[in-house]
Amino acid sequence: TRPDVHPLPPGTHLLFAQSGRIEHVPLEGYDMKKDDAKAVLHLPEKVIIGVAYDCVEKMVYWTEITSPSISRANIQGGEPVAVIRSDLDSPEGIAIDHLGRTMFWTDSVKDHIEVSSLDGSQRRVIIDSDLVNPRAIITDPPNGNLYWCDWNRDAPKIETSYMDGSNRRVLVKDDLGLPNGLTYDSQSSLLCWADAGTHKLECMHPDRRDRRKVMEGIQYPFGITSYGKNIYYTDWKRDAVVAVDRYAATESDEFQPLKRTKLYGITTAYAQCPSGQNYCAVN
Amino acid sequence: NALIGTPGDCQPCPCPDRSSCAQIAETGQVVCTNCPPGQTGMRCQMCEDGYYGDPLGQSGAVRPCVRCDCNGNADFNAVGICDRVTGQCLKCLGDTEGDHCQRCRQGFYGDALLQTAGQKCKPCGCNPSGTSGHVNKCHSQTGHCSCLGQVTGRDCGYCEVGFFNLQPGVGCERCKCNPIGSSS
Repeated sequence: TRPDVHPLPPGTHLLFAQSGRIEHVPLEGYDMKKDDAKAVLHLPEKVIIGVAYDCVEKMVYWTEITSPSISRANIQGGEPVAVIRSDLDSPEGIAIDHLGRTMFWTDSVKDHIEVSSLDGSQRRVIIDSDLVNPRAIITDPPNGNLYWCDWNRDAPKIETSYMDGSNRRVLVKDDLGLPNGLTYDSQSSLLCWADAGTHKLECMHPDRRDRRKVMEGIQYPFGITSYGKNIYYTDWKRDAVVAVDRYAATESDEFQPLKRTKLYGITTAYAQCPSGQNYCAVN
Repeated sequence: NALIGTPGDCQPCPCPDRSSCAQIAETGQVVCTNCPPGQTGMRCQMCEDGYYGDPLGQSGAVRPCVRCDCNGNADFNAVGICDRVTGQCLKCLGDTEGDHCQRCRQGFYGDALLQTAGQKCKPCGCNPSGTSGHVNKCHSQTGHCSCLGQVTGRDCGYCEVGFFNLQPGVGCERCKCNPIGSSS
C-alpha cells in the first residue's frame, strides 16, 4: 500500500476529484467528517474529471483527460486499472448501472454518449446527435433511465432516455445557464441539478415535471451528488465541497481541502447498494 | 526508511518549498503530497488544469504556471482547455484555431483576436460562380476570395465596372456600349 493513499473504511462516503486525486470524506449521518478526509487514490500526473462508484464490487471509476482514459480501482486500496484507453477525446461525466453492470460516459469533444460493460468491453455509442457540451450523466437503474446535461451556452438542456439511448426527450431547456452537475436520488425519485450560470440549485420529479428551486445564489458548482435530504456539490469559486439541506434550503456545511485548486466530479459511495430491481433483471 | 540504521535513512523530500512527500514501499518511488499552489505531479513539476508552464524548468528555463492563453476563444467552463506544458489551446471556439486560438480556421475570415463581442470569424462563403478557387478558401483576415477575370467583390459576387454577365467558370464580359449613346 502507498503511504499517500488510504483504503476506504466501512460506511458511506463522498468521493470527489481534485488535482489528480480522488479524495473521500466519511459521512456520519449527513455530516461530513472533515478531519477524516483522505486521499483514496493519487495519480499526480493526471486530471481526473468524472467519478462514479459501483456499490456491488466496491470499485471507484473515473474519467481522465490528459491521456484520455477511463479507469477503475477497488476502494480497499486496489491498483488503478484502465478499462477504456482508445477513442476518447475528453471524457467527462461517468455513471454506473450497478444492476445492469454497465457504465455510461459523455465525451465533450466527440460530443456523444457511450455505454460499455464495466470491464470496457461491448462498447457502443448510444447518443451521437444534438450534443455540444455534454457533461454530467447519471443513471436510474431500477427504472432503466439515463439523464444528462449539456451546458451549450446557446441552448443548455437536461435530457433523458432509456439506457439504450431510445426514447430520448428534453426535460428542461428554459432558464438554464451552465448546468454542470446532475444527480438523482432514487429514494425520493428526485432529479436535481446545479447551474453555474443561473447560480441555482433546482430539482424536479422527472415524471411530474414539477420543477422547483432549492437554492439561489450558489457560486460556481461543477459536480453534484445527493444523499438523503442533503445535496453536496463541488464549487470552483471556493475550491470546496458544499453541503445543502434540500428541505431547509440552506447551506449546512462546507469542506475546503488544504490544497486550493479546482474540485471536479463528486459521488456518494454508499455502504450498501440502494434496494431495487432492474427491469431487465426481472425477465 | 528510518529502519535501516544508516545516516542516510531519512532524506529530504525532493519537493519544492520543503513540502511533504511519501515513498511507495513496493517501488521506492517518491511522490510529493503537498505541492505549492498551482502545481501538481510526482515532483510538483506540472501545472494544474487550466494553467501551463514548466515550474521546475525541466526542459529549459523555469516558466511559472500561468493561465491558459486562448485569446478569449476558449470557454472557462470547459476542462482541459490547454496543454499543461506547452500551453497549446485544445478547445478553440468560434471557428478559431492555432496554439492560442489566434487565427480563424480554414474556410473562415476575420480577426480572431477581436476583444468585442460578436462573431470574430465569419465563413468565406465565396460566390461559386465568381471564384476561381474553392468556395471555402479566402484570405484569413480580409476574407477576399480569388476571383475569375473581371469579377470583383470580397466574395467574387459581381462584375467590375464596364463588365457584365457573370458566367460560372468564365467570368464577366465587357460591356459593348456604343460610346456615342452611353452616358458613361
